[in-house]
Amino acid sequence: MNFDSLIAPLRDSADRFATAAGKYLEGTQTPGPSAAEAARTFGDFLRVETMELFQFPWSTNFASGGGAGAATPPAMPPAMQDPPAFGLNREHQLRWQRSAENGRRVGEAQHRLQLLWSDALRDAAIAFAARLQSADSGDAKGAAPGAATLRGLYDSWIDCAEEAYARIARSDPFSSALADFINASSAWRKESQASIELWAKALDLPTRSELNTLTRRVNSLEEQLRSTEPRDPTRKEPPRARRPSGARRGKRP
Amino acid sequence: MTFADVYARLVAAKHCAPGCSAKELVWESGKLRLFRYLPTAASSGTAPLLIVYALVNRPYMMDLQEDRSLIRGLLDAGLTVYLIDWGYPDGADRFTTLADYIDRLLAGCVEQVLAAHRLGALNMLGVCQGGVLSLCFAALHPRKVRNLITMVTPVDFHTPGDLLSKWARNIDVAAWVGDGNVSGGVLNQLFLALMPFRLGHQKYMDLLLGNPGQAQVDNFMRVERWIFDSPDQAGTAFQEFVTWFYQENRLARGRLEIAGRKVDLRSLQLPLLNLIGSKDHLVPRDASNALQGLVGSKDCTTLEFELGHIGMYISARAQREVPAAIVRWLAQR
Repeated sequence: MNFDSLIAPLRDSADRFATAAGKYLEGTQTPGPSAAEAARTFGDFLRVETMELFQFPWSTNFASGGGAGAATPPAMPPAMQDPPAFGLNREHQLRWQRSAENGRRVGEAQHRLQLLWSDALRDAAIAFAARLQSADSGDAKGAAPGAATLRGLYDSWIDCAEEAYARIARSDPFSSALADFINASSAWRKESQASIELWAKALDLPTRSELNTLTRRVNSLEEQLRSTEPRDPTRKEPPRARRPSGARRGKRP
Repeated sequence: MTFADVYARLVAAKHCAPGCSAKELVWESGKLRLFRYLPTAASSGTAPLLIVYALVNRPYMMDLQEDRSLIRGLLDAGLTVYLIDWGYPDGADRFTTLADYIDRLLAGCVEQVLAAHRLGALNMLGVCQGGVLSLCFAALHPRKVRNLITMVTPVDFHTPGDLLSKWARNIDVAAWVGDGNVSGGVLNQLFLALMPFRLGHQKYMDLLLGNPGQAQVDNFMRVERWIFDSPDQAGTAFQEFVTWFYQENRLARGRLEIAGRKVDLRSLQLPLLNLIGSKDHLVPRDASNALQGLVGSKDCTTLEFELGHIGMYISARAQREVPAAIVRWLAQR
């Protein structure tokens, strides 16, 4: 990705903002219902425009597997919801069912988060419209919006949005939904790791569990080695400041 | 200025590297590296200062560029400065504990500095989470720290304004960590979610619309690099930190044990300087300010700056005021 493509969304966003702000300022030229409608429209535009900020990057990881990332919780086929597990594939079936259940929990938690984010943006839009209506924008009326006017509107929107978001983010329902999302994601990942390890074992490939066992053994050996060394080396022999060969120096500008 | 102009400046800033002060590697253990910064002025005669940075970000923020370097300010005042770089944990570090970080790695750095200077105690500056590690170390090894400075350091993790703490309260950290490390990218997303509009949108609009000069764009790109250069966190240490500090608030409640020994803040009798950012959204003012009421030291100074978390490191005001405050305080002791 080059910088041009990096900047493009922001540039487009700024263009859309300028257009919407221009329409709002046109609408405010006539006091009364049309001005209120212009403010509401502008607030709604900003609500939609900033919704994309509220996407956790990891949520897309579950979009294909667990169904999270969709706007509504995924519906599981009735026959798959909780069939009894028995026979040769009992353990596999139970694992799949746990995975599916965790995916459903991820989707449900994300749905709750998205509703709360939507509430925050709604509150922000209402506060923003109220702020616009109470502000004296007389100097801008009848003229194309200047950069300072646009900037003022933009900063005002950000203030409203952060204030509304802060209220929601500090609420118990938000904390609960966020924790449920992370907890369900953790459980989904654990089941996925178990499934992948089964395939790795079948192909005689090393698994993460085996590596963990080896890491713990090495750590234990290191600990035993350290316990045989003097606790405070300076008391017997001052450690020499070690300069590896070709000691690196920080760059000067 | 058009977007194309800003783009051209961003392209020109692509290769801006952080770091401006000369330093030498004096010790390493595993992924940890201990650096000594080369002096830029005659020695002030104070004991060497060991900077203990957080595990969650890279320490070069302390020496970002010439006009944005806390370390440069300290060096110019004649201080001898050491800095710990914890490195980037990988899968082999997943079982590294807080005891490993504090009682083995940090302790190892202290031993190296003391031996090099033939001293019994040094000065320590703990930054953010590094301040928590420093407080723990000083409580466990009180004779080895002469003066302790904490900067944007949380102490009471259950203050009402602490959003990160509120979010962490109901998370099953053991399940989150599993047997692995915790992605730095995911943590970054959580940090940005504290103020998503300002940090995820307005900041970039400010750059595009603010007619930035090349120096401003260079600075922007260095800070961007730092913000998103987030090491993964060693799983066990992360789980311990979130559980013991964020969820159980053991440090403030006097119930913390590291390596089987109690960490009692009331036992801290050494001079303490606590530097707080009153606009800090990551470590709220009250979370830091609690220190004074929890330590046993009668020599505890709190200095508050009207700055945010990152502003405490790199704002122009911080460059003027923070190093000078540290140097002045140390000189008085």
